[in-house]
Amino acid sequence: MSSLEKSDAGTSCEFKENLELLRQTYLFSVFPLESLKVFAYLGTREKLHDGDYLFRQGEDDDQAYCIVYGKARLELNDNGRVREIRDVGQGDFIGGLTLLGDARRLYSLRAVGETVCIVLKREKFVKAVQQFPDQMPRIFRAVVEAVVDWEIRFLGALGADCGGCLPRLGVSLL
Amino acid sequence: MDKTKRPIVRRSLFSWVFDGNLGWQLSLLAVIAVVVFARVLPLEMQKRIVNQAINLRDLDLLLLYCGFYLAAVLLANVCKYAINILETLISQRVLKRMRSALYDHIISLPLSFFRNTQPGTVVNAIVNELVVPSNFAGMAVSTPVANVLTLLTFAGYLFWLNPLLAAVSLSIYPVALIAIPALQRRANIANQKRVDLSRTFSGRIAESIGGMHEIHGHGAYRIEIRKFDGLAEELKKIRIVWSLYRFAVKTTNNLFTGLGPFLVFLMGGYLTIRGELELGALVAFLSAQEKLYDPWKELIEFYQVYQDGAVTYRRTMEFFDVEPEHEREPSGRAPLTLDAHLEVKHLSFATGSGIRLLDDVNLELKPGEHLALVGFSGSGKSTLALCIGQLNSYGEGQVMIGSQEVARLTKQDIAANVGIVFQSPFIFEGSIAENLLYACDALMEGGVEHVRPSLDDIIAVLHQTGLFADVLRFGLNTVFRAGTHSDVARAIIRIRHKFQDRYGEKFRDAVEFFDESKYLAYSSVADNLIFGAANRDEFAPAHISRNDYFMKFLKKEGLHQSLLDIGADLARQTVDILGNLPPDTVFFEQSPISAQDLPGYKSLLEQLRRKKGRDLSAEDSRRLLDLALRFTPGIHKMVGMGPDVQKVLLEKRTRFRAEVSRDDPAALTFYTASEFIHSQTILNNIVFGNITTASSQTQDLITQNIIQLLIERDLLETIIDIGMKYNAGPQGEKLSGGQRQKLVIARAFLKSPRLLIMDEATSALDNRSQARIQNLLETRWKRKSTLVAVVHRLDTIRNFDKIAVMKAGKIIESGSYAELIDRKGALYELVGKK
Repeated sequence: MSSLEKSDAGTSCEFKENLELLRQTYLFSVFPLESLKVFAYLGTREKLHDGDYLFRQGEDDDQAYCIVYGKARLELNDNGRVREIRDVGQGDFIGGLTLLGDARRLYSLRAVGETVCIVLKREKFVKAVQQFPDQMPRIFRAVVEAVVDWEIRFLGALGADCGGCLPRLGVSLL
Repeated sequence: MDKTKRPIVRRSLFSWVFDGNLGWQLSLLAVIAVVVFARVLPLEMQKRIVNQAINLRDLDLLLLYCGFYLAAVLLANVCKYAINILETLISQRVLKRMRSALYDHIISLPLSFFRNTQPGTVVNAIVNELVVPSNFAGMAVSTPVANVLTLLTFAGYLFWLNPLLAAVSLSIYPVALIAIPALQRRANIANQKRVDLSRTFSGRIAESIGGMHEIHGHGAYRIEIRKFDGLAEELKKIRIVWSLYRFAVKTTNNLFTGLGPFLVFLMGGYLTIRGELELGALVAFLSAQEKLYDPWKELIEFYQVYQDGAVTYRRTMEFFDVEPEHEREPSGRAPLTLDAHLEVKHLSFATGSGIRLLDDVNLELKPGEHLALVGFSGSGKSTLALCIGQLNSYGEGQVMIGSQEVARLTKQDIAANVGIVFQSPFIFEGSIAENLLYACDALMEGGVEHVRPSLDDIIAVLHQTGLFADVLRFGLNTVFRAGTHSDVARAIIRIRHKFQDRYGEKFRDAVEFFDESKYLAYSSVADNLIFGAANRDEFAPAHISRNDYFMKFLKKEGLHQSLLDIGADLARQTVDILGNLPPDTVFFEQSPISAQDLPGYKSLLEQLRRKKGRDLSAEDSRRLLDLALRFTPGIHKMVGMGPDVQKVLLEKRTRFRAEVSRDDPAALTFYTASEFIHSQTILNNIVFGNITTASSQTQDLITQNIIQLLIERDLLETIIDIGMKYNAGPQGEKLSGGQRQKLVIARAFLKSPRLLIMDEATSALDNRSQARIQNLLETRWKRKSTLVAVVHRLDTIRNFDKIAVMKAGKIIESGSYAELIDRKGALYELVGKK
């Protein structure tokens, strides 16, 4: 059993595990260790069973998630028809934008099998960031890079054919 | 405010002397008359003892006069004590009256006054500056009367002994009367500066305390210390100057009075040598003259108290000499019941510096209509709302509620008809219930006919505003002390069994049940070892690290050192993570060390590093042990607790139980499913364990099931009632931003005002709560109360009857949502931008 696998509350050092996971995410990798420690400390663990929702489409749940172990599925409810988008797994980080401001969920995220994730609430994130005002430019840069990277990958995977989606491309132009 | 009465800030200091104290002052005069007599009598006895008793060698006479002498001395001292008591009584009564009257005046002052006044200034004025003036009031009659009388009596006695010598020895006093006031004038100037500077100083301290998060956030300690030191230095200098002049007055006085005997010796000696005065008469004269000093000294001291008191009093009152803008209560009539028809005509409002925040605003709302004020920040929305609520005094134009102009109404008229929810909610120290009923209680105490809401009304409003779940949680998180609420405790045990039967399996992952054979990650190390509730204080968690029996057990079992190591590790990690963070609940709710204790542990770690763990003082060891005993691995995640340690602690739990049951069976009640645990919350008692899930969905589910069980046992209202007693903490700091906002909204709803003003009242609420309030306004309050709402989220304004878009102090368009969107004007643009 690796250190990141299932363990009972409190037996292993959750703080160190959180630190290890968060430093690999695009948003938190920009922080120096001293401030990263605070975020790792502020994150709480949540254990979900198969089918439990981490968040639901349409709600503003004010928090970001980092999967510690297990798997979760992103779904889009398209007028009653539920479409599976993709799966996220260990180490994946979802909801960085939610930490920065009101961001209504456009998808739902549902646990597939037993899943444990780190949850960081916006209120905690905002208060902690206020303690490190020097880091703000780095956060902006990280978010911008993530958005642009996302679109580059999207365009790369798009190929020549995307039906009528071309006029609506360009999230990196925001 | 009663017009016939002079406002406190214009009252003279002398007006306090007799006001309400006439009887006391007269009693004081009576005692003084006795004391003057008792002071003079010994002189006469002295003379008679020498001239008659000793001269005639009459022992009986000697004893008689000595008896009189003794009685007079005793009487004088008893009277002096009585005078002190009466003076204290009068000055404390005056202080209380002054404070109440000044506070009464200050809280009526317009809000604009408080925008420019630091809270510290007000605190200093009420707490410190009124003390000297009130001391003066206590002495104002007694000291001059007693001492002038004594002085005159002794002076008369001196003249009677020898007119020439008396005239010479009294000639110094007129000179003193010229020199002393000159010095005192300078002392007064210094005192005036001191009062002003103290006010600034107090204000500055209060400001820094209020902005502590900014100071910590920017590490601006040096800037603040520099600012503080500057003022402290100035205050030091001015206090020194003030004291120098005060002492100069005293010294000058002493010098003059010291000259008295000199003149008597010179003059009297000359007369005696020439045989014109007997030696005995000279001695009698000298001893009589000595008695002049005390009353004179007291008079001069009184003069100083008067001067200091007068200056302090005048400066303080001048500072608050501002007129309240509105009468507080109507005189000669009951508060008006207004028709909730609102009309604003040509309303303008400018700041003191002439910036126009509102410019010719016009609007009309029929009773029960709802208006949303929208626009960019700084466009004047809140200013307009506050003008309607009589909190801003407008310059031009009119605000009419029904047929009455707002500017002419009393505060009580407004309170009886208008409810206001402010942008930043303020919660007072006190229970949820007190805060919730604040507006209703204010009306009732103010004489407005208003029915006190019943528990049913309150519960309805709690549901409507979404505060119900919060209050229930406060109730469920309450700990009953042993011997209280025994009926409720019994019912809760029955609910516990039901909960186990119905939901035990379902919440297996979300609750850590109290199981004797399992280590509880969400309980402290101490709770795990003891696994019971203390029946005596020394076994309670707060005292356990000072409990000798427990300490002996730890040492005997070899746990002491390993706990010290855990404590040190925990302290190191916590200080490493939280060492530089401000004392915010967000940072410290998962910490085993409170923000307050953190500096102490920092220096403890420093000691530990220097001494490398050797020779730690007993107190430091105890603090580390205390920390380890508080360690709750499920919450304090900075350090883990390995399964081996847990296993050892479980073994020790069994052993401790066996030993304490043998040695001191009454000390603890061990956790059993059939007993209420008085060290645990109601919630933990119901689930018979700790809730471990962080998921709000699961927590809500548990709460819902518990509500169901509470309803079945008819206990829900009891728990809500207990929750309503939860103390919100100073400025409501124990509540979240959302809870505070819901509480002030509930407070306004409970009052059911005819006109409701909401200034961005839901900005701190989550989407669901915001939607709930919006829905409530539309279903319950439309057509019932007129509403003026300053709104920042445009997705909530669709169903308002009217929307007014503001820009630069003007309403640039108004109408229904559909009309304005069709017009494709400012609102269309705003909504589009959103």
